[in-house]
Amino acid sequence: MSPVGTRLVLEGLEVRQASAGTGAPGKRLLSGVSLSVEPGEFLALVGSSGSGKTLTAMSCLRLLPPGLHITGGSITLDGQDLAQAPEHQLNSIRGGRLGMLFQQPKRMFNPNRTIEQHLKEPLRLHAGLRGAKARTKALELLEEVGFADPGKGIRAYPHQLSGGMAQRAMTAVALAGQPGMLLADEPTSALDKVLERQILQLLDRERRERGLGILYITHNIASVAAYADRVLVMNSGSIVEAAPAGELLTRPKTDYTRQLLAAARLAPESRRRPPSRERDILVLDRVGKHFGPRRKLGHAALHDVSLALRRGEILGVLGQSGSGKSTLAKAIVGLETASTGSIARQLDAAAPREATAVQLVFQEPHSAFDPRMTLRTSLQAPLRPHRELSPEERDARIAAAMQEVELDPSLLDKRPGQCSGGQLQRATIARALLLEPQVLICDEATSALDALTQRTILNLLLRLQRERNLSLIVISHDMDVVRYMCDRVAVLLEGQVVEVAETKDFFAAPQHEHSRALVSASIPCRADGQWTVLEAVKT
Amino acid sequence: MLQFITKRTVTLVAAVVVSSFAVFLIPYFTPGDPVRKIIRSRVAGDAIDDSAVQGLSESLGLHDPLAVQYFRWLADFFSGDMGLSFVSRTPVAEQVLPALSVTLSLVLMSLGLAAALSLPLGILSGLRPGTAADRAITAVTQALIAMPEYWVAPLLVLVFALKLSILPTAGWNDLSSAVLPALTLALRPISFFTSAVRAGIIDAAAADHVPAARARGLRQGQAVLRHVVPNGLVPLSTLFAVWFAGLLGGSVIVEVIFAVPGMGRLMFDAVVNSDIPLAQGGVVVVVALAVGVTTLADFVHQFLSRTVGGTLA
Repeated sequence: MSPVGTRLVLEGLEVRQASAGTGAPGKRLLSGVSLSVEPGEFLALVGSSGSGKTLTAMSCLRLLPPGLHITGGSITLDGQDLAQAPEHQLNSIRGGRLGMLFQQPKRMFNPNRTIEQHLKEPLRLHAGLRGAKARTKALELLEEVGFADPGKGIRAYPHQLSGGMAQRAMTAVALAGQPGMLLADEPTSALDKVLERQILQLLDRERRERGLGILYITHNIASVAAYADRVLVMNSGSIVEAAPAGELLTRPKTDYTRQLLAAARLAPESRRRPPSRERDILVLDRVGKHFGPRRKLGHAALHDVSLALRRGEILGVLGQSGSGKSTLAKAIVGLETASTGSIARQLDAAAPREATAVQLVFQEPHSAFDPRMTLRTSLQAPLRPHRELSPEERDARIAAAMQEVELDPSLLDKRPGQCSGGQLQRATIARALLLEPQVLICDEATSALDALTQRTILNLLLRLQRERNLSLIVISHDMDVVRYMCDRVAVLLEGQVVEVAETKDFFAAPQHEHSRALVSASIPCRADGQWTVLEAVKT
Repeated sequence: MLQFITKRTVTLVAAVVVSSFAVFLIPYFTPGDPVRKIIRSRVAGDAIDDSAVQGLSESLGLHDPLAVQYFRWLADFFSGDMGLSFVSRTPVAEQVLPALSVTLSLVLMSLGLAAALSLPLGILSGLRPGTAADRAITAVTQALIAMPEYWVAPLLVLVFALKLSILPTAGWNDLSSAVLPALTLALRPISFFTSAVRAGIIDAAAADHVPAARARGLRQGQAVLRHVVPNGLVPLSTLFAVWFAGLLGGSVIVEVIFAVPGMGRLMFDAVVNSDIPLAQGGVVVVVALAVGVTTLADFVHQFLSRTVGGTLA
């Protein structure tokens, strides 16, 4: 029988960064964090990136990064103060009574060890199971988290699993020690809506069936609305608001919470405009892309994709992970050549260079820049082939582009590591604008950002689209982003376009079976702009 | 995995065949007529009868097309007939094989010594980068790169053989005579292995999955033993093979200084004496061995690091 009724209480937790050299307490990162997670409670901790959510979770496990120390307060698990506990006691608690579920599951597995080897560690340490017994239990766990073929899954190495499967495997590892309390740190932020819902339902089932307490860290307000009992809002290392979920979402007390909620609520009616009557600017005709040897046409990333983008239109491309969205983006820009079919550009005559008239905004801003180059050097690169520009003209263009994306020119002399994700994503857009594109492809351009930053970037894209009459393709797994931004929606399933419709019609009445699954997995916000706690989803 | 092995094996055979063809062509690019050299190596006296040259060319099949000659040579070679040495007039194989076994033992001892020293040193400094121990280890091992063998060897002889008289100065008789050559040859590998292990461990320790392992309840030591050290050592298998191949051909200085009757010295003498069959035999054997070991290391690396290739099994 599992330990039922684990209770986690934090009182006045303070974490500081030791100043270099002296070891004297330096910058305060968490101050006075007090919270309690009751047995069987689903407690959400929300806040924008850098507000200290992950730090709070890592403090509970006493696994802070080097240089950070708990300098005050207490962390009590069933009456035992973890802040003072000796290391050997902590080792039996970590992964045992207190489990942790990480974001980015693939990076949290040792790439050279199988899922079985990972699962057996907590089974040996916390349940005392070895050999055949451990294997049986491991198979059970994998089946429980939704592996269709646990025998195959157990032999897999982490890189052989898809993102969703890896997160399920990580969940199985976290549950293997039969924790009474689970710290779930954005466990679904890298997943699409369908997978997210499966993982959260799994956690919710554990909560109901055996009283697992869950501290759910997220910046995804919609999932909070659906699952959380209570919500804590964190900002700059402190908890600024705490209330039952229904109350906090409908009657927020602080400005920060209101801001956070407003950002998450991408109201659909913000864009109601007549469908574009202009001519097509980009026409894809039966585009296919196969990877691997030509003879084996079994693995097709794209299959007979026919799409047309109208001038000045925003077209959304929706699809789950692995549906071929990124391959499509690369094929359109020319980073991948299509195996079959054609992609025709019908640009305006004013286009300075045809090759650069279609630009791509990448998903992960931190990997879209060379970490060793200053932003200025990175932004100068695309202008280098334009020999007709004098150095002064180039600088002027870069300055203008920075202004257009509302970035401080002083950032130009910083390196990517010194910038936030939002700043870098603006710089990526600025870089794309330098070449005066007519079509901009945004491949999950905001999915790595927190809700507040996401909203500002989306609004920036909308403004640029209006001012420059750009044509936009917004590729996303996020229904809210697509609904907020797009005039029309195309749905991609296993490399094929299964539905193209105007946004309004699509969300009102999706035609294809897969579209219906996507629309119902996304938790709708009400048209009047108020939050609703959807009891139907919860049970 | 099977596809990878097949591919690599084909590459290996191709590399050996191509290099053996180059070696086969050596006599055609060296000054002097090989037939006359053969006759001169077998009979005393300066005057060589033209009819004897014609006769020998005929009997050796030198009028056949080049391709035919090459494949005949290759077939003979791998059936153990590497020809006769110009100098000693004995079969080349009888000289190459004993020398090869000497060099192999010397190289394996050096690499064993290098691994035995650099694994603990590299792991130690990689786990605690920036500490005094790390800085001392790095400084010493880096300094080893700058010490040439022809300088280190006499120095070691001076200390251990002449002053302390605990080891012989040269020769190849028992284990004690192997210590100084093996140590001299091991210095640079020690340096490279240590810095490779250190870098590998630092990388592996910074991986996100290490705190994740601690969060499963593993003690710091267990996490290091299971998730840091094995991952940090993966790149070493390739480096090891590269050095093995490099030392097979690179042991010549040490073998000459310490009078070790190995491949390096044999090749050195063969070149000095223009003993073409001996040089050809030696080079092909060393190349085949070097390519074979490198390929084997690729297999090992592939096996150790699951992410290099291969998708869902």
